Amino acid sequence: MGLLQREREAILANEYVDHFDFLEVESFIKNASKDLFISHRFNTSDKILVQPRGGFPTYEKVFRLYEEFKEAGVDILPLTIDSNTRLNDYATAQKMLRLSEENDVDMLNGYPLINHGYRTTRKMMTHFNTPVSLRHGTPDARLLVEIALASGIFEIEGGPITYLLPYSKNFPLDKAFIYWKYVEKVCAKYSTLNEPINRESFGPLSATLQPPAIVIVIQILEMLLAMEEGVKSFSVSFSQSGSMLQDIVTSNIIKKLSRHYADLFGFEDAAIHLVYHQWMGAFPRDKEHSESLITTSTVIAALVGADKIITKTRDEAYGIPTKESNASAVSKVQYTLGILRALPKIGDEEEEENLEREVREIMEAVLNERADTLWRKVFNAIKKGYIEIPFSPHIINNNKVITVRDKEGNIRIYDKGDLPLSDKSFAFERSKLTLPEGKNLVSQMIKDIGIML
Amino acid sequence: MKVVTGVVGNDVHVVANRLIDISLNQRGFEVFNLGVNTYLEEFIDAAIETDADVVLISSLNGEAEGWSRDLPLLKSRYDLKEIVFVIGGNLAVGEVSSEVIVPKFQAYGFDLVFHQVDLNEGLDQLENYLQERV
Repeated sequence: MGLLQREREAILANEYVDHFDFLEVESFIKNASKDLFISHRFNTSDKILVQPRGGFPTYEKVFRLYEEFKEAGVDILPLTIDSNTRLNDYATAQKMLRLSEENDVDMLNGYPLINHGYRTTRKMMTHFNTPVSLRHGTPDARLLVEIALASGIFEIEGGPITYLLPYSKNFPLDKAFIYWKYVEKVCAKYSTLNEPINRESFGPLSATLQPPAIVIVIQILEMLLAMEEGVKSFSVSFSQSGSMLQDIVTSNIIKKLSRHYADLFGFEDAAIHLVYHQWMGAFPRDKEHSESLITTSTVIAALVGADKIITKTRDEAYGIPTKESNASAVSKVQYTLGILRALPKIGDEEEEENLEREVREIMEAVLNERADTLWRKVFNAIKKGYIEIPFSPHIINNNKVITVRDKEGNIRIYDKGDLPLSDKSFAFERSKLTLPEGKNLVSQMIKDIGIML
Repeated sequence: MKVVTGVVGNDVHVVANRLIDISLNQRGFEVFNLGVNTYLEEFIDAAIETDADVVLISSLNGEAEGWSRDLPLLKSRYDLKEIVFVIGGNLAVGEVSSEVIVPKFQAYGFDLVFHQVDLNEGLDQLENYLQERV
C-alpha cells in the first residue's frame, strides 16, 4: 500500500465518518455525469459562469436554496461549509446541526458536510446534476475534501496560503502546506478517472487594499503547488479592487504570467481559468447602492474576460442573505452579462509593464530561495517577508507593507517592507502617490478601505 | 516610548489593529503588536517583558468588559503603576453611551477610555496625556 493510501485510511477512519468505501467512491467518480464537472463546463461553455455564495445547516434548506438558484438560472452551485467544520470540530457541528434540525433555526453558518456524510449529500448533488464548488476556509481540509469529492463536488476552493493567512492567527503554515499537498494529490488521483477535478485559489485574500502584484504571485504559487501534484485544471482568482484600470491590468497580467509559469514548470497540458469576485470589502447598507455595485462589478467581470464570476447580494451589509435575495442577485447578474455585447479589448501598456516586472521580481526571489521543494521556498519567502498579505491576522505575516490608494483610486505600495521589488518598480508605485504623511496616512487608508460606502 | 497593543478576547478585527500599529509607528512609538485574539494576561506578560510605557488594548466586537474585569487583580499582583493603560474601540454590545461606559472601565483601572472615538483623536489624547504626565 502506498504512503498516500495509508494516510487516506487514517484520515477516513475518523469517528464521524460512517465507513468510507474507497472502491465504491472511485467507481462513482469514474461513472459520474460530466455535468457535475466544472472543468467540463468551462470547456463547453462560451459564457461567464455565474456562481453565488451560500450554505445552510440542514439538507432541506440547502436543497431549497439550490431549487431557488436553478430557477434563477445559476451555472455553478456553491456549498459553503460552517465554521466548526472548518476548524475540524465535528462534535460541535453535530450538536448544532441537531439543534438546527429540531428547532428550525440556523445554528451554523454553513453546511456541516462531514456530519451529513457523502451518501446523503451525493443524493442532492446528483439530483441537481450541476457543478458544485466547495467553499470553506479550512487549513486542514483533508477529510472535508475526501467527503466532498465522494459526494460529487468536483471543484475545491482554497490553498495553503489563501485559506490560512487571511483567516488564522496561529495555525502553523508549514502544516498547512503539507495538508494541502494531500488535497492536491487526492484531486489529481481522481482527475485521471473522468473529467479533471478543478482546484481554485482564493485571490481576494484579506480583501483590504491588496496590491495586485502580491495577489498574482500567490495565485501563481498555489497553482504551481497544485500542478506539481498532478492537478490538471486550476482557477486563479482575484476580487474587484475598486479601480477599473487595476482590475483590467491585473487580469491581463495574471492570464499571461500564470500560463507562463505553468509552462515553465512543464505543465503545458493543464488548463487555467480566471475567476472574478464581486467586491469583497465593506458593502453599502443602502440596498439601491449595493445593487448598483453588483451590476458595476458584473460589467468589470465581462471586461476582464473572466471565466466565472462569484456574486454578492444586495443584503451583504446585513449578514447571510435569504435564498430569495441570493437568487435574485444571480438572475440580475445573468441578465447584465446577457446584454453586454461586443466588449472592447482594453489594457494599459505602462501599468502592465510595471505589474509584470513586480510579479517577476517577487517570483524570482521566491524561486531563488535555498530549499529542496517549492513549498519550502514559499514558506521561507513568507517568513522573510518577500510575500506578505496586508491586514492578515497570522503571526507569520511580516506586517511591514503599507498600501494606499492614489488620486484615481488605484492601490499603490506606499511602504514596500521586505518585498523584493527593484528600485524601478517601487519608484513607479511612489510616483503615483502624493504622499500623505503621519496621521493623514491612516485617515487616507480608512477612507480607502471604505471606498464603496 | 514603548507601546504594547492588540485586540482583546476572541476578536479578529485585524484591520483596526493594523491601522493602530501603523498610526503608532508614524507617531514615533516603538510598537509591540500582539495582534488579534489576545488574552489580558498576554498583554501583561508583554508589558513586563518589553518594559512598556503604555498598554493600548482595543476591542471591536463589544465583548471587552468581560475580558477587563481581571485587570485590577493583575495590577495588584505585579508592579504596573508606571504603565498607562488605554482601552478603545467599540466597548459594548448594542448602543450604550460613553457616560455609562467610561466610568466603568476607569474603575477597572484604565487611565484612558475611548468608546467609539476616532482613531486619530484617541491617539492625540494619548499623546497629550503622556506629555502632561512628564
